[in-house]
Amino acid sequence: MELDLATIADLFGRSFSLWWAIIPGIALGLAVGVLPGFSPQNTLIILLPVTLAMDVEAALAFMISLYCANHLSGGIPAILVNIPGSAGAAATCIDGYQMTKKGQAQQALMLSFIASVAGGLITSVAVLGVLPFLAELGLILRSVEMVVIILFGLTLIAVLAAKDMLKGLIGGAFGLMLGAIGTDQVYSTPRATFGFLELYDGLPLVPVLIGLFAISECLVMLEEKFGGGSKPATQQRPQWADTLDGIRLSLRYWWQIVWTAFLGLAIGVIPGAGAYIASFVAYQQSRLFSKTPEKYGTGFAPGVIAPESANNGVTSGTLVPTMAIGIPGGSTAAVMMIVLQYQGITLGPRLFQDSPNIAYGVFVMMTVAYIFMIPLILPMARYASKVVTVPVHVIVPLILGLTVIGAFADREYMFDMALALGFGVIGYIAVKTNYHVTSILIGVLLGPIFERYLLRSLRIGQGDIMVLFSSPIANALWVLLVISVVLPIWRERRLARRAAA
Amino acid sequence: MGFTNRMIGRRAFGAGAAVAALGAALPRGASAQSGFPTRNFRVVIPTGQGGGADRLARAFDDAWSKLLGGRQFEYEFFPGAAGQVGYELYVNRRDPDAYNLLFGNMGPEMIMYALQRPRFRFPEDISYFCRTDIDDSAIFVKNDSPFRRVEDIVAEAKRRPLNVAVSRIPHPASIGMLALGEAQGARFNLIPYGGGSPTLVAVMNSEADIGALPVSGLTLQRGRLKVLGVFARENVLADLTENAPTINQVFGTRIPDLYSSRAWAIHTRAIERFSDRFQILEDTAKKVFDDPLFKESMEKVGQPAQTLRFGDRATCTEYALAMIELANRYRQQLSAQR
Repeated sequence: MELDLATIADLFGRSFSLWWAIIPGIALGLAVGVLPGFSPQNTLIILLPVTLAMDVEAALAFMISLYCANHLSGGIPAILVNIPGSAGAAATCIDGYQMTKKGQAQQALMLSFIASVAGGLITSVAVLGVLPFLAELGLILRSVEMVVIILFGLTLIAVLAAKDMLKGLIGGAFGLMLGAIGTDQVYSTPRATFGFLELYDGLPLVPVLIGLFAISECLVMLEEKFGGGSKPATQQRPQWADTLDGIRLSLRYWWQIVWTAFLGLAIGVIPGAGAYIASFVAYQQSRLFSKTPEKYGTGFAPGVIAPESANNGVTSGTLVPTMAIGIPGGSTAAVMMIVLQYQGITLGPRLFQDSPNIAYGVFVMMTVAYIFMIPLILPMARYASKVVTVPVHVIVPLILGLTVIGAFADREYMFDMALALGFGVIGYIAVKTNYHVTSILIGVLLGPIFERYLLRSLRIGQGDIMVLFSSPIANALWVLLVISVVLPIWRERRLARRAAA
Repeated sequence: MGFTNRMIGRRAFGAGAAVAALGAALPRGASAQSGFPTRNFRVVIPTGQGGGADRLARAFDDAWSKLLGGRQFEYEFFPGAAGQVGYELYVNRRDPDAYNLLFGNMGPEMIMYALQRPRFRFPEDISYFCRTDIDDSAIFVKNDSPFRRVEDIVAEAKRRPLNVAVSRIPHPASIGMLALGEAQGARFNLIPYGGGSPTLVAVMNSEADIGALPVSGLTLQRGRLKVLGVFARENVLADLTENAPTINQVFGTRIPDLYSSRAWAIHTRAIERFSDRFQILEDTAKKVFDDPLFKESMEKVGQPAQTLRFGDRATCTEYALAMIELANRYRQQLSAQR
């Protein structure tokens, strides 16, 4: 089927008529995204009896809205209380929470919302135009290229460690060590599990995330309230002027939104590459190309925009291999595939001839879902930012209760609740001793997938390490990686020399 | 929780969730009146959501649920350690009351059992009682690969080790490649991709020279991938695989049939303690194969009808034990323990 303007207009019309499925999808996605431990794939699995009973287009509209809204709302708790709703929002904490501490919660939320919505909108529209090319991109990037892409994310450890290199690297190495827990990537032999069945699949991300960020933050809040620690910044009443200021900042950094969204799209197209890779790589790249890299980590607007925009660029990317080659790009896409297959829809290249309303319609629905989010979400920043004015004796039990349940909900192991508490203590100690918890988290998140792709590459090379330099694309990425590591050091030294002169 | 055919629209959408929940709670049908089952079943799947086992279990339970008084199946997913997590959790932490079941892939998971020696005994602790399919392992290449026949692959693998994308190292398809290499003096370098989908991608993007996977998933990628041979006595999907020959036919080897086989399993203690319940499960599961809805559901999820073959408890046990024996024979190549 030719994708002409009339067809696109027809698809948009049909998608808008599904508002009754899109709005509940958005509402549920937002709720699920805010709570760490509740993932979109688990929610969709629970709702399968409903989605299977719906008309296929309505079911898709519902699932896609839920999925996109989930990616958007993970940043809300990351900004307000330093607790990422999902792993994809972990990088948002770095600058988002700093903005909140400076009394700019509303601006940070607006940056996150606008970057997410715009990133999602831009990429879903772009996918419509270049779908066949993108499907091929997923096949061009192989294990060797993935090794380098993940290394971009891992170099963020060094960036975060800039203030205290030794502590930063210790934190990163500790995270990588923790990430090595679980069965090995080749023979599935358990290692460092201490006999705990719950660790065979590696350290579960949700309890680690909850512990390092949520519980440790609660302990810090309690200490500040009752222990005589430093007082948190006083919060002013939310005002519409702050919302407008957030919009102004977003417009100022519009180019950041665009290019990091496309970065997310490119990473999302690779089957198995998660949103957290995209958000960390986007943050690292954004800092690299910034004229003021020293502002990152201090509550700087592009530090919120980059991970959020990339995170939402991933949503369209993930669905490209699902639709174009019939291979799910992630676990949420795999659940969507169940629904589509049951409705007799064969995914893959033939889909564009057999069911163009589905093949292209998915991306139109995504665009429409993001359009619906504009009036639904943007005004929310003013009200959501009130969370920071809630007294500590109310917010702490609430966060602890919800997140510990979240730790349990993901896999339904009591062990995970204890693990979250354990990581809460680790996170608290890290905060008090000036270790960066994000460095630990990057190691835990990226370590296992780095190992997976590295070992795979080495097996492909049959033991020859030169396999890592065997592809032109990988070699180009290696050069960029070296530049991205060397450039900030060179820039810093030049600045230091100038200052000395 | 299975597949249903009703279509709901805008007005019914809100009511949909409530109906689904209410439906699950109400006892219905003859089986409910006879005392079993009086509640829903909980099923452990030792692989991830949206994977092959998930899809097949749901396609099966649609028809099975009708025979069990409308009782639903609630799934829990415990992937990890090649299935070890799901199995250990099922055996050690789920009540042996015949309401807790497991749906797994006997081939790879019994190989895992042989290699990892997990904390349960087969068949003392767990018994398979209903095989749903036989999915032969196959060798495949990208459609424009220079290898046009399986003989080309072996000839090249005699000159240099060929990279073979596989789902896991402990897998029947991996054993097939090792057995073929051993029989023909060819060298195959197995690369585990941790699932069917990434394995397919690895061959499509030429990262691996060839791939080895269960054949049914390959039939969905006709046009992009080409099946060159199957590890079976006969190729039951000949019409969907351009008459790909069997490996034994081509090379005159005597490699045993190597296939993945999804099956329902139950605690062996539940069979002993609740023999009446088990009898109902066994009888009704067998009857599912007579239901046209079952075949229809399976084909919808991409499982060709030719692969659907019932196997009873004795057949399943025989197959599982044979897999354990085979895994022990290739232990050195399949595990990190040298």
